[in-house]
Formats: sequence, C-alpha cells, structure tokens
Amino acid sequence: MASEPLLELDSVEAGYGRAALVLRGLTVRVPPATIVCLVGPNGAGKSTALKVASGLLKPRSGRIRVNGRDVTGEGPRRMLATHGVAHVLQGHSVFPEMTVAENVAAGAYTVRDKAFVARRTDFVKELFPVVAERWKSLAGLLSGGQQKQVEFARSLMVDPSVVLLDEPSMGLDPKTAGTVFDQVVRMRDAGTAVLLVEQNARRALEIADIGCVLDLGKVHIEGPAGDLLANPDLADLYLGGSARAY
Amino acid sequence: MLTFQSVILGVLLGGLYALLAAGLTLYFGVMRVVMIAHSAFLILAAYLAWYFHRETGIDPLVSLVGTVPLFFVLGVAMQRLLISRLRAATLTMMSVLLTFAIALLIEGLLGYVFSGTQRRTQLSYSGTSLDFFGARVAVVKLIAFGLAAAALLGLYVLLKASRFGLALRATIQHREAAQLAGIDTNRVAGYGFGLGLATAAIGGTALALDTTIYPSLHWHWIGPLMAIIVVGGLGSVPGAAIAAMLLGLTQSLLQLPLGTTWAQTVFYVALFATLAFRPQGFFGGRLAQRF
Ligand SMILES: Nc1ncnc2c1ncn2[C@@H]1O[C@H](COP(=O)(O)OP(=O)(O)O)[C@@H](O)[C@H]1O
Ligand SMILES: [Mg+2]
Repeated sequence: MASEPLLELDSVEAGYGRAALVLRGLTVRVPPATIVCLVGPNGAGKSTALKVASGLLKPRSGRIRVNGRDVTGEGPRRMLATHGVAHVLQGHSVFPEMTVAENVAAGAYTVRDKAFVARRTDFVKELFPVVAERWKSLAGLLSGGQQKQVEFARSLMVDPSVVLLDEPSMGLDPKTAGTVFDQVVRMRDAGTAVLLVEQNARRALEIADIGCVLDLGKVHIEGPAGDLLANPDLADLYLGGSARAY
Repeated sequence: MLTFQSVILGVLLGGLYALLAAGLTLYFGVMRVVMIAHSAFLILAAYLAWYFHRETGIDPLVSLVGTVPLFFVLGVAMQRLLISRLRAATLTMMSVLLTFAIALLIEGLLGYVFSGTQRRTQLSYSGTSLDFFGARVAVVKLIAFGLAAAALLGLYVLLKASRFGLALRATIQHREAAQLAGIDTNRVAGYGFGLGLATAAIGGTALALDTTIYPSLHWHWIGPLMAIIVVGGLGSVPGAAIAAMLLGLTQSLLQLPLGTTWAQTVFYVALFATLAFRPQGFFGGRLAQRF
C-alpha cells in the first residue's frame, strides 16, 4: 500500500461551465495492480472525478499525475495512448451500429502495431468469452451485461496501466453484475489497476483493495476496503444499512 | 410500358436522392445539424458545372475536379468556423436558422451573379437516349445516375473499410466513447461535414447534365431530402439510401396519374406516416432513438 501511486488526483477542483464546483479538493491515489473503489451518494462527483482523470474534463486547479509525471490538462487521446489511462463510461457506451469486432478494433484506434493489436485481440477474447461468441453481431443488439463486457474489452485493447470503471454493474441483474465484478477482479489480476465507481457500494468494496468515500466533491474516508465494510457508522451512512446485520 | 419507363426513371432519380440524403445524414450524424443549405450547395455546384461548360466548352463532368475539393474544404471550414461555435444545448435548432441563412445567401449570390434566368447545359449528347427493354432513357440521366451510384459506393467503402471511416462512425454513434478511444472527434466531425458537402458537389454536377436550373430551385429539393432522412432513420446512411430509392420510385410512378406537384407529396405523406407510427425511422435508426 506504500508503493508509489500509478494514478494520482491531487487536490483537484473541477466543474461544468459557470456552475458551482463539483470537485472541491479531491485527492485519490491508485497504486499499481490495485482496485480502488470510490463510493458516495448520487451527484457526489464520482463520474466527474473519472472524467478529470481521463482528460475528458479539464480541472480548474490541482494536479493529475501518472507514474509521478504531471499530466494535468492533457486530453483523452494522450491520456490513453501515452499514459495508459482507459475509461469506461457510465451507462451504455458501445458503438451500437458497429459489430463487436469493430468496437474492439476502435479500442486500438491509437495503436499502429498490428502484431500488438492481434495479441490484445486474442487476450480480450479469452478474458471475455462473450466478445468472441458475438464477434460478428451488432453491439447494440447485445444485452446490457454483454455490452458492458464489449466496453471492457475495447478499453483493454491498448493494454492500459489503469482503467476507470464508472458504475459497471448499473442496470444489470445480480447474476450478471456478479460476472462483471468477477471480471474486474480478473483485470486487476492481469496487472491492470482499477479505479472503480459504484452505487452498489457493498459489492464493490468486497472486491476492492482500497475504498474511498466521496461526498460533496471530496474524499471523507479512505482505507482498506475491508475496514470500510466493517465500519458500522459508514455502513449506516453510505452502504445502505448496518454492517452488523451481516 | 410507360410504367416500366417510370420505374427506370424513378431508380435513376432515387440514386441522386440517395447520394444527397447520405450527405444530410453525415451532417446530422457528426454534428446533430439540420443542414437546410445542402440543396443550395447542390444548385451552386450545378451552376458551377454549367458555367464551367459554357466558358470552356469542356464537359461539365470535368468541373468535379474543382468542385469536389472546393466543397470539401468549404464544409470543413463551415464546421470549424460556424457550426462548432454554436452552443450544444441549442445546436440543432440554431443550425436550422444558420443554414437557412446560408441557403438564402447562396440563392441571392446566384441570382446576383448569374441572374434569375433559367439555365440549361447543352451537350452534344443531350438529346441522345438509349432503348432499355422498351423504355427510352436519356444518356445524361444514365450518366447522372452512374455518378451518384459511384459516389455513394465510394462513400460506403470509405465508411466501412477505412480507419477514418471507423473513426467517423464511432464519432456519430457515441462521441464521448470515441474520444475515450483516442479519436479526435472535432477533426473527424469537420471531415464528415466536408464529405457531406462533397456529395452536394457531385449531385449538383449530375443535376446540371439534364435539369434546367435557376437560383431558387433548391427549395424543391430540401423538403424531399429532409423527409428521406427522417424516414430512413436520422443518422443511418444505408437507411437514407433505401428510403431515397423507394420514395424516388414512388414519386416517379405517381407522376403520370397525379402530375408533378401531387407526386411530390409522397415525401410528406411518408414523413407524417413515419412521425406518427415509427419516429425512429423505418430503416436503421437505433441511433435516432437516442435523440
Ligand atoms: N455534463 C454536465 N454538465 C453540467 N453539470 C453536470 C454534468 N455532469 C454532471 N453534472 C453535475 O455535477 C454533479 C456531479 O455529477 P456526477 O459526477 O455525475 O455525480 P455522480 O457520478 O457521483 O453521481 C451533479 O450535480 C451533476 O448534476
Ligand atoms: Mg455517475
């Protein structure tokens, strides 16, 4: 846990247009090959935090670092291709009128090395069997859980060092959500760090290594995910009921 | 036999509609822009082809060498300098006003430079027609169709088989996800706009071969084209092409019993039917559901 963070948001302030700030001094560190889970109420700024981390949204102040290097203000293309930060958006974000194969190919848009792309394609097909099974189907025709796996596969094509996952279990039935959580663990085990945002906080903390509770644009509590799960006050406030019930 | 003649003419007309509708679909796809000036650019290209032929005596088809790149660059510039300045929240609405103004501007310029006189390109082969299983088809119409079909095929191959096409389709289908895949969606949208305007250049040249043109002619085109892209499912190029063919054919078939004006109403009937029964369009259109 003491290792140098791979991705670091340091005292980030950010917001949309002239509206009030959404993030008010957010600090989050993601060590290598670790699942860091960001939980917090709706509207707390979790999605906004991920957008800042992937370059979709420029912070007003604060720094973003990857491997200790300051990358503040860089756009999504460089964040992905140069710094290895991939982002899977909240909700459905496949390209619906493209085949699964084309979606996966789009994930490697910034990569010119054909052999590398072929290796990554084999890798994601093996990690997500659905991707291989539905290779020729239009992505928009897949179920929600299958689409999410296509999105995962697409994001892993560049072999990112960290993936940002925004509520990947949203809208999925419990069994499918379970599959998706398993796959998040497998991504981590394959060496990719994960910054995971979840409404389903309890399930997420169960697979995470580190938990952060975000409220009003700031991290209020941070610690080993197990400690957060066991903390009765937190359970009441953020995890929907007391941990003592378990 | 007259019916067969109408079918042939309908297919030939449908090809031109399909190409132009593909252009409109591109603007809407990349920018959510309703481009009222598309048909004004069509007529502008037709004038340039006619003028080129009148001044040089060279076949008007050759004018494509100049108008296609010119329109492409104009399209990119229009997206960069005008459309991208519009605020996202009101973009579609404002784009109607903005491009309406551009259409009026082009019409005014054409009237000013070339006067309101009706113009027609006179070619050595203007009067030639071929016998096609009993139907008489003017050679210029065949050439116009061939041009439109080739351009449409080229566009299709570009979209389906090139790296740029992948980026363009990704930008149309989910802009933010496209950015996260490393695609420069602003640049791609500019090129998409340029391609759309290039279809107007090609269509205009085809039009100049066999149609009498005048500055306000574009108003006859924009309504049917708008109807086609709604029926086809906004944002779907194949959908627009199928709708264009079917409606072009229907229009042509209705021309004999109903006359030209009433035959045109087929577009509006189809438009109302689409909005009433299947607002996402009849072909493709998973995309349109999201807007
Ligand atoms: N594109 C946007 N434009 C303006 N405000 C936004 C936008 N996205 C989110 N917000 C606002 O920012 C705040 C935080 O949103 P978000 O980061 O999506 O929260 P969370 O993901 O934690 O639910 C909310 O008040 C939301 O209304
Ligand atoms: Mg969110």
